[in-house]
Amino acid sequence: MQIKIELCSKNDLEQVILDKLQKTFNITLDIARRLYSKSIIKHFEQLEDDTSFIFEAPYVDKVYRDSYYNYFSSKNRPYKRDGIRISIFKGLIAAEEFRDNNKRKELLEKFMGFIVLRPTDPNLIGRSVISPNVLKNKNFEICVTNIRTTVNSIKLNVEGFPHSSQDSETISCAETTIWSLMEYFSNRYAEYKSQLPSEIIQTLNRVSSERQVPSKGLNIQQISYALREFGLGTKIYSRAEYGNIFENLLSCYVESGIPLVIAMQNSTIGHALLCIGHEPPTEDQIDNLQRKVFTNTRLRDKYNAKNIIVYDYNDINEKYVFIDDNHPVYQTNFLNSPSANYLPDPAWNNCQITYFIAPLYTKVYLDAFMAQSYIYQFLITPWIDLTDNTEILVKIFLTSGRSFKDWLATNSSFNNDVKDLILETAIPKFIWIAELSTKALIKQNKGNGIIVLDATEANTLDNKPLIMASYKGNYIRFAPNSTKLEKFPLPLGDFSIYQNNLKSFI
Amino acid sequence: MTETISNSDKIIRRLQDEGKIESLDKQEDLDAIIEMNEEMEIVSREYQIKDKNSQISASTVILTD
Repeated sequence: MQIKIELCSKNDLEQVILDKLQKTFNITLDIARRLYSKSIIKHFEQLEDDTSFIFEAPYVDKVYRDSYYNYFSSKNRPYKRDGIRISIFKGLIAAEEFRDNNKRKELLEKFMGFIVLRPTDPNLIGRSVISPNVLKNKNFEICVTNIRTTVNSIKLNVEGFPHSSQDSETISCAETTIWSLMEYFSNRYAEYKSQLPSEIIQTLNRVSSERQVPSKGLNIQQISYALREFGLGTKIYSRAEYGNIFENLLSCYVESGIPLVIAMQNSTIGHALLCIGHEPPTEDQIDNLQRKVFTNTRLRDKYNAKNIIVYDYNDINEKYVFIDDNHPVYQTNFLNSPSANYLPDPAWNNCQITYFIAPLYTKVYLDAFMAQSYIYQFLITPWIDLTDNTEILVKIFLTSGRSFKDWLATNSSFNNDVKDLILETAIPKFIWIAELSTKALIKQNKGNGIIVLDATEANTLDNKPLIMASYKGNYIRFAPNSTKLEKFPLPLGDFSIYQNNLKSFI
Repeated sequence: MTETISNSDKIIRRLQDEGKIESLDKQEDLDAIIEMNEEMEIVSREYQIKDKNSQISASTVILTD
């Protein structure tokens, strides 16, 4: 079998795709045109105009082949087993560059990912990874992973978030979401393994009372179960239970660099998608951030008694970035209008995010709700000494101890003594951090206080999760080999805040 | 010859010599710990209910679109 490789610019893209669809999938020009305008063109419209494409067909895609052998091949009607891969390059490329050893680095810099087309009419978009660097609009900060591939026999890699459309038979939105998430985790961390559609279906068969194919979707608990079976420590959050703080918790996990499974619903629609990042907040959005209203009335009374005004960074109303299998990759919407990009389709009117699943590392025992509760209780203790009428902005997020120390070690804006004390303190694999700041300082990406908690400590009694706190010239920690807290003067000053959880493409 | 590059001991020794390290074990500190423990126990019970109910209701929502 010969692989046909072709190179084209964005101007010729439609013609080449129509030709490939007819030849590889054995369909008529009319059908190819319909598929192109309905489900293909929108994925390429968002790419910059000076983009080049390499077509490889027939292409063996591991994900579609798995669906083919486990489902499509068992049908009476013959299905094609091959796909078409379209690799994306920024700027102009020439065929000779793929045979010139001196051009490897240049090709790598130009490589912006790939999209696989599979013969699953009408949802043709299969496994794809696109670097945000090739998008017309890339004003966001998101979770990304490095994915390796081969184009025209040259090994290349790209940073992006895995995406696919649902084929609606072996994978609905729910299975696609699981696949995409595991593809992300397995390429990013050695602890996890990517999962093919048949492996997801097989895992869910153990807890399902009905057949899994053709897929009729999954309930939220089944999605959580599958992710737990694949090695993640999942937590489910319901809007009905968490009320006012539901979106704050969602934002807190996204700020922590954790891609979340989102359940979006209205009276007829039930849809799964991923939330992987957000647009950076504008100065206006920071200015418009409202005072935090604590749902815990006793806590509210304590802050009110001293007229301390708290702003929570995770309450900022910015746009979030979604991976949605009904749309091109990296969709942006506000949390209160998650289906805005489906309109004017009336079926998707008034959708709301009703649940999210946080796929945590298994040993993150202290969740966002408890970590936040502890931090806001701790801030109002006499040890922090918040004076009356103080305004404080708090940014809470989870991160790995290694990434935090790596960032801190070379952060020249941090006081050296505070830095050395933190770096020479044993910290766990994951920590919760509260950066304390003000509206004015956060606009400059700066803070003036920090609280570090042990994310492996779910017991919040006697300040057990506390690793250290530094604010207003004081440093608080546990005395060595003791359960007693101690406090000493050590000025921290203003420092550049931690921004390593999400990658910015601005 | 080895060189000690950690600085924590030096920083703490300096603060101790200057008498600046305050142990938070006075009665007002113990009262603050007790008050915070009581609050966190209430929060923890509230969390367990929210967590349990989130799990239960999640099994009734099918995502398919």
